[in-house]
Amino acid sequence: MQGVDRNNNVERECKQTGRRAFLKAAGLIAAGGAPVGASALERGTSGNERKRAWWVKAVERPTLGEKTADFKRFSGDNIFVIYRQLKAQREGAGSFEAEQTAKAKRLAGWMREKKPGFRLPDHQLSEGAWTLMQTTEPGAGLLSWTRISVRTPAELGVERHTAPPEEMAQTVKAAARLYGAGLVGIAPMNEAYVNLRQQKKDIVLEDADVPAVTDTKFVIPRKMKWVVAMAIPMDLDLLSRAPTSLGDAATGLGYSHSAFAVASLAEFIRGLGYQAIPSVNDTALSVPFAVEAGIGELSRLNKLVTPEFGPAVRLCKVFTDLPMACDKPVDFGLVEFCKKCKKCAEACPSRALSFDDEPSFKTRGPWNNPGHKAWFEDSYKCFRYWQKVDNGCGICLASCPYTKGSQAWIHSVVKATAAVTPAADGFFRIMDNAFGYGRRHDPEQWWTKDPPPGPRG
Amino acid sequence: MTMPNPPDILTITIRKRPWWFWVLGGLWVLLEVLFLQTALASARESEHRAAAIGWILVAVFGAAGVLVWFLQGRSRGRAR
Repeated sequence: MQGVDRNNNVERECKQTGRRAFLKAAGLIAAGGAPVGASALERGTSGNERKRAWWVKAVERPTLGEKTADFKRFSGDNIFVIYRQLKAQREGAGSFEAEQTAKAKRLAGWMREKKPGFRLPDHQLSEGAWTLMQTTEPGAGLLSWTRISVRTPAELGVERHTAPPEEMAQTVKAAARLYGAGLVGIAPMNEAYVNLRQQKKDIVLEDADVPAVTDTKFVIPRKMKWVVAMAIPMDLDLLSRAPTSLGDAATGLGYSHSAFAVASLAEFIRGLGYQAIPSVNDTALSVPFAVEAGIGELSRLNKLVTPEFGPAVRLCKVFTDLPMACDKPVDFGLVEFCKKCKKCAEACPSRALSFDDEPSFKTRGPWNNPGHKAWFEDSYKCFRYWQKVDNGCGICLASCPYTKGSQAWIHSVVKATAAVTPAADGFFRIMDNAFGYGRRHDPEQWWTKDPPPGPRG
Repeated sequence: MTMPNPPDILTITIRKRPWWFWVLGGLWVLLEVLFLQTALASARESEHRAAAIGWILVAVFGAAGVLVWFLQGRSRGRAR
């Protein structure tokens, strides 16, 4: 349980450092006024400006993800790299390249024959949605580790912004929501979640003043003890057309919005006089930070599921030295629901998701980071299916009973009941099927639907 | 044809409905509203099967409620 203890230490640091930093900035320690300020600062939660439902309970520890001493920093190799290597090992040299050639031919054929969901407009809608994300690169451009264009307080001739950690957290969250975050939370920095390498360079944490990207390494200053975790909602109307190019457009749009959100928030924080490192899928694992920030719980998908948007979100984060009050993990009965539901595992065409009743420590390949409890997935099978259906899949995200629109009240009633009465979980799973949720919507209807496509579907 | 003489004493009995009747009635109204809202919202969210089931529930549950109300009134009449 070494990992857990380390987390607790970091969390204490998050609260205490935040308080200390503010008091120091406000001159209260020197003036002997610390006790006055301290009483208001020891709550340890940042006060979400988005009021969550009563059945989303804050808890001390995440409901899933229990760690052992084996938990170490992840290599940083993503499934794209791992799949290529494994494919060559399992099916012979050149098999990956042959698969890509066949995929390109198949896709061109679908476009020519105007296969629904894979016509040229469908494909290019997806390409357009990915545009912003495709321009990003860790440490450069939108994801620059140093300021892009914002003027610092010093340049403006003012002091950097200071406020109590709770107020600072609310300020940052308000900005994050404006930039596109559907959910936002603050978690303490945990070095164990930072990848070992990216772009053939080491990622190191050093006692530096500013983040840096050199020819050999990415440097994260140790003073960056706070992580702003964000969930960007995906377009459900597009996602419900997965696995097609339209479904992939939902993913691309989520990523592009993520890139915009973290870049904008990082600039905002720099503009307040602090350091910030924007990150989408790069640099560190997003899911554990999002779990610790109380955005959602780890699920059977081995992905985050939020109470509000289900798993239909893209995660991103900003590391910073701006002192803020941290949020707590949440429990809304998801783990118990996942044990009985298994709808995602049944819906997965590649049988990549776990059917086990209970989560375990048993990983299924080098894409999984060992040393924590989860329902581990077979990403090789998942990615191999991607090669058959244009660029991505997304069926598991669309099929989850928590992936629902926000308009029907009955969904809130069901989620609330599931949170407090796990005995009803099996019934809700049956009713979810009976009501036809999670079934693929007709791709062709998307272009002519009424009301027409727009922000947030 | 001679009209029968009216009884000397006319008794009108007013019975109070039991408390559970009003609880069930309130629950019935709440569920009707919930199913109706589900039907309308699901249609807006392009969940057509859910919308159809919502309308069916509104109709069946509504008819059942009206029927129970009617039958309960008749049985009270007979009891008198």
